[in-house]
Amino acid sequence: MSTCIIGKGLPRVDAVPKVTGAAQYTVDLKMPGLLVGKILRSPHAHARIKSIDTSAAEQLKGVLAVITAKDVPDGLFSFYQWLADKNILCGETVRYIGDEVAAVAAVDDDTAEEAVSLIKVDYELLPAVFDVHAALEPGAPLVHDDKESNSTWSVERLFGDPDKALAECDFVVEGTYVTHAQAHTCLETSNCIAKWDEKDRLTIWTNAQAPHTQRQEVARILGIPRRNVRVINSYMGGGFGSKLVMDVKLPIASVLSRLTGRPVRIVNTRSEEFTTGKTRYPYTMSLKTGAMKDGRIVVRDLTVIGDAGAYHDKGPATINFSSMMFGTLYDVPNIRFQAQMVYTNKEMGTAFRGFGNPQLTFATESQLDELAHKMGIDPLDLRLRNSNCSMGTTSCGAEICGCAMTECMEAASEAIEWSQKKARPSDGTLRGVGLANMVHTGGGGRFYGYNSAEAFIKLSDEGTVTLITSALDMGQGSHTTMAQIAAEELGVSLSDINVLSHDTELTPYDLGSWGSRATFMDGNAVQAAARDARAALAEAAAEMLEADPADIVIEESKVWVKGSSEKHDLFEIVDHAVNAHGIPISGTGQFVDKLPEGYTIPTAFAKNIPCFSFGTQAVEVEVDPETGQVRVLRVVAAHETGTTINQTMSEGQIEGSIAQGIGFALMERLVRQEGKVQNDRFLDYKIPNIGDMPEIETILVESVGTKGPFGAKGIGEPGLVPTAPAIANAVFDAIGVRFHELPITRDMVLEALKETR
Amino acid sequence: MKQELLITVNGDEHHLLVDTRRTLLDVLRDDLGLTGTKNGCGAGECGACTVLLDGEPVNSCLTLAHEAAGRDVLTIEGLSSGGVLHPVQQAFVSQGAIQCGFCTPGMVMTTKALLDRNPDPTREEILAGLRGNLCRCTGYVKIVEAVEVAQCLLAEEELV
Repeated sequence: MSTCIIGKGLPRVDAVPKVTGAAQYTVDLKMPGLLVGKILRSPHAHARIKSIDTSAAEQLKGVLAVITAKDVPDGLFSFYQWLADKNILCGETVRYIGDEVAAVAAVDDDTAEEAVSLIKVDYELLPAVFDVHAALEPGAPLVHDDKESNSTWSVERLFGDPDKALAECDFVVEGTYVTHAQAHTCLETSNCIAKWDEKDRLTIWTNAQAPHTQRQEVARILGIPRRNVRVINSYMGGGFGSKLVMDVKLPIASVLSRLTGRPVRIVNTRSEEFTTGKTRYPYTMSLKTGAMKDGRIVVRDLTVIGDAGAYHDKGPATINFSSMMFGTLYDVPNIRFQAQMVYTNKEMGTAFRGFGNPQLTFATESQLDELAHKMGIDPLDLRLRNSNCSMGTTSCGAEICGCAMTECMEAASEAIEWSQKKARPSDGTLRGVGLANMVHTGGGGRFYGYNSAEAFIKLSDEGTVTLITSALDMGQGSHTTMAQIAAEELGVSLSDINVLSHDTELTPYDLGSWGSRATFMDGNAVQAAARDARAALAEAAAEMLEADPADIVIEESKVWVKGSSEKHDLFEIVDHAVNAHGIPISGTGQFVDKLPEGYTIPTAFAKNIPCFSFGTQAVEVEVDPETGQVRVLRVVAAHETGTTINQTMSEGQIEGSIAQGIGFALMERLVRQEGKVQNDRFLDYKIPNIGDMPEIETILVESVGTKGPFGAKGIGEPGLVPTAPAIANAVFDAIGVRFHELPITRDMVLEALKETR
Repeated sequence: MKQELLITVNGDEHHLLVDTRRTLLDVLRDDLGLTGTKNGCGAGECGACTVLLDGEPVNSCLTLAHEAAGRDVLTIEGLSSGGVLHPVQQAFVSQGAIQCGFCTPGMVMTTKALLDRNPDPTREEILAGLRGNLCRCTGYVKIVEAVEVAQCLLAEEELV
């Protein structure tokens, strides 16, 4: 079909308010009587609380409430409630430096800060454990002393017979790969305002990627009915997974508001964001890959130890997702995936763009190059021979719908001039090229046992289309994507659409913006709603124009009867329908991602994914032998979009992902000593700045076969998944050293160069 | 201790009573309601709070409000006039240089100062000029393009 709006690189619908400063983020909101909430956090990695004295804080002028564990519900919380392990405020034990101990509400920042400093806590120090291997030793200190060990969650997946395959294959490579904690560093830190009304209803303003599930989480931990909780979003200053699961500052602010009868705001400082805002889960991965002489990969065997930090949060879900991607990237007949999450006395992890997949892909795609090297095959050639184009069901049960893996590899390698650069004679500079493939979900997942979305559209007589969707825009641009889908389907222009997604009172229940989910899931619902509204409009127009609804044409905000030259303004028709005939025009749309036959949560594995997205990145690097700096010169990123909804925004998602991938590969790591974060500011925890970025060429590869709106897939996360292994492979090409740990820092490179000389 | 402060922001004169310890950022956001200027770190490390003080870019989180006494402050709210976007703003919109938008006001103000000072910067000068402004969303590719487009738009304006 020909499209007017889909595929165009149209400016985002919220660009003007953002570029003029008019856009209001949650931290910008003001309201009468607003108090400042502040949290007292543990200075110890592991300690028992012997006593807390809040009297001095309570007596300080301007302090309206001081709370400790005895003032809050004592239930525990986690993303999976059956794994609940986190207090709102710690009553007996603190488990990491930053754990919440007490909180105050005061009239201003200075008073709140002073009040926090006046709370006296007497601690008895307990032995702490910071390293996953030490945590697994017999007799290691227990992070949660009611549990038998620090091993908190394990997964095992087995397909085929890996032991037999390893014994029989022609080549085997093995190695251990390590990644560390990466911080999300959203420019707007985590924050909220809580306020109770006279009907005993709680409203929370916050920057949430999943307001409906966070609403349930708040109700659950506070022990109040869900119907009494409302969550309102504003413009969001970034998410990247960090705003998916409820932070305990929400119930803390709620209790403070309850006690004071006034709205209470809590905002993370940048240091709190680094030290308590949760991180990407560090993985230690022991991997074996086996192949036959012809290059066919026949077996993969992986053991993962994931560092949960002090509490579960998203750990179990992350490791489960890793297993699905491990089984799907290539169609390998014999697969074993064994993983466990381990408690340590550190800041916990949570969802982070890629959700366990960037760590995993660093191991698998690095090792594929090691295998190619051992076999004497070009790494590109080895990948092409194993390209996952089954277009059916893989050995581990993944249903591949529309796969352009080979096209992505060809496009990326051609653009980077792979064969010329591989064959280049050494001219003394330490340059190299590398590439890596990826697979990721392009449509969220069925992990809750369902995956569905709904949207509403109303056409108003004054000439606007109101689109109510639950696709939360945290900056990735889903408001624009949804508006484009609605405009295309309805036959109106983009500027006619007003998108609302911010209020749980208004929007339909939804799992939220995560897992590259919104375009596929909410986009489908929006398309269905627009189709429904279009049918209603055609019906009304047919009555007014005395024609058959099937003969009504709606395009570019005009309505006419097929064959007639008389075109009517669409909104005049709406006006007439509403005001002269009393016919309201609206639409409702649902999309229910049907579960495959025999689906059960424990056995679903890769059948959880409704739509896979493949891609390839090829990079060129130069290593400075004097400083050890790895400079990424160029990245070519070829990613599947199914159908591109907005070219500029799809490129933007990939470019931004690559920046985070470069950070993950070369720069970013929270450094701790005895559990204390040493780099809790941008000066010390460096994220890529404008001068660190290479030239990036983005290639959007369209493919057929997905069930997304107009055939689209999600593109929010894929760009971050293959960047680090592509860089590691290029570094190997440049200096002949294989790094098994991220980030590849200058001192690691210098040390390695010293050894090779 | 509070002291009188006479300050001009976006052309409007304000007569305030301000504690000497407070920052320009706090006064802009809390006292004047100009929340377009963002606080990303409070330590002068991310550039989100950049405003122009007598035309020069400063981190308003590191500038005491009283340092701005008697001087001209320009914030993002004062950049467009009569509903018409400044060429730098137009370029950020058209090039897709905005995602979450939280760094955008600081990025735009720094770009304006850069192009005021040097209307024809090289790519290297652009990178050097914007190094102090962090963005976690865009990967900067489209921000560089936007600065270059703004450069052209401003040059065209000069010709008219």
